[in-house]
Amino acid sequence: MEQPSENTALLDWHDLPVRQIPEATSLTVGEAWTIAFTYFTVAITVSLVHSTAGTPAWVIVAATLLVNSATATLAYAAVTAAGGSAVAGVVGGCLTASRFGVLAAALAPRLWPQRWKRAVAAFAAFDPNIALADRERKDSDARRVYIAMSLWLVLPWWLGASIGVVIGDWISDPRALGMDAMFPALFVALIRPQLTTNNARLIAVSGACVALALVEVLQGGLPVLVAALPALLALRSRENGAT
Amino acid sequence: MLTWGVVAVLAVGVYGQRALGMALVDPERLGLRPRQVLAMVPLSILCAVTALQTLSTHGELVLDARVAGIIAATLLSWKRAPMFVVVVVAAAVTSAVRGLS
Repeated sequence: MEQPSENTALLDWHDLPVRQIPEATSLTVGEAWTIAFTYFTVAITVSLVHSTAGTPAWVIVAATLLVNSATATLAYAAVTAAGGSAVAGVVGGCLTASRFGVLAAALAPRLWPQRWKRAVAAFAAFDPNIALADRERKDSDARRVYIAMSLWLVLPWWLGASIGVVIGDWISDPRALGMDAMFPALFVALIRPQLTTNNARLIAVSGACVALALVEVLQGGLPVLVAALPALLALRSRENGAT
Repeated sequence: MLTWGVVAVLAVGVYGQRALGMALVDPERLGLRPRQVLAMVPLSILCAVTALQTLSTHGELVLDARVAGIIAATLLSWKRAPMFVVVVVAAAVTSAVRGLS
């Protein structure tokens, strides 16, 4: 019954407006809403950081839409606020976002064989949608979850950034509300179900340790890039065979 | 402060890396072992980002109220609490610890 990928690929895009939560996948409504809520809230705080730095409202909204990465714009803001040049800020921003390229490469084998479709999908390559898509056993489900979660993530993201520009004055200190703990907490919740094997636990701990060991040594996003290397430990389990 | 020019360059730079990641891998020619490694990359990166966002600020190791929030998040995740509870409690604990100190 299972037809090769051409048919499913077409259906995926055709189904796009219909299924907010793809049927028969492990994605739940609760997860989708939590991620939407977290990205919405964090987008508000990111907006605040930029407006405090003097960025005009329209530029903030455009940056959220076009760059589509808080780490990149925040890294730019941090570098320039510390007295760095705009060029240093841009380089820092791009380096910090480099993990999205690696994450995109990690999910690419499970996405569409057509390059242009993967190129479109690349725009929304974030951590949670890639992690949740990767959780699916079938590639066709991974694609559907990726599309759905990209929308669940990117739309609240844009909305939050736009609202943040407007209500910026009301929330004086996002840190006092603990908003800086929301992203790592969400990631913990995404990581835990993946720690099913000893190998996965080893990779998880190694990734965290490598990043922490390098954070004061290497610039911007480089510690995170190097922290992708523990994934090579996956080769240890090849004698287990089946996936 | 962001400007239109900076936004344009960052947009191209960030999308370029994402698209490059997607384009470099050819799903139809990838062997089993590279596939197994790539499948674990998100986990490794997710853990790295979590560790850095919990324990560092602007490239320096920092120990602050976030740690308490993330410990709470970890405990709740292990008890299989809903994701929403994990996120909200983490923010609340961080906020409370920060308010007390």
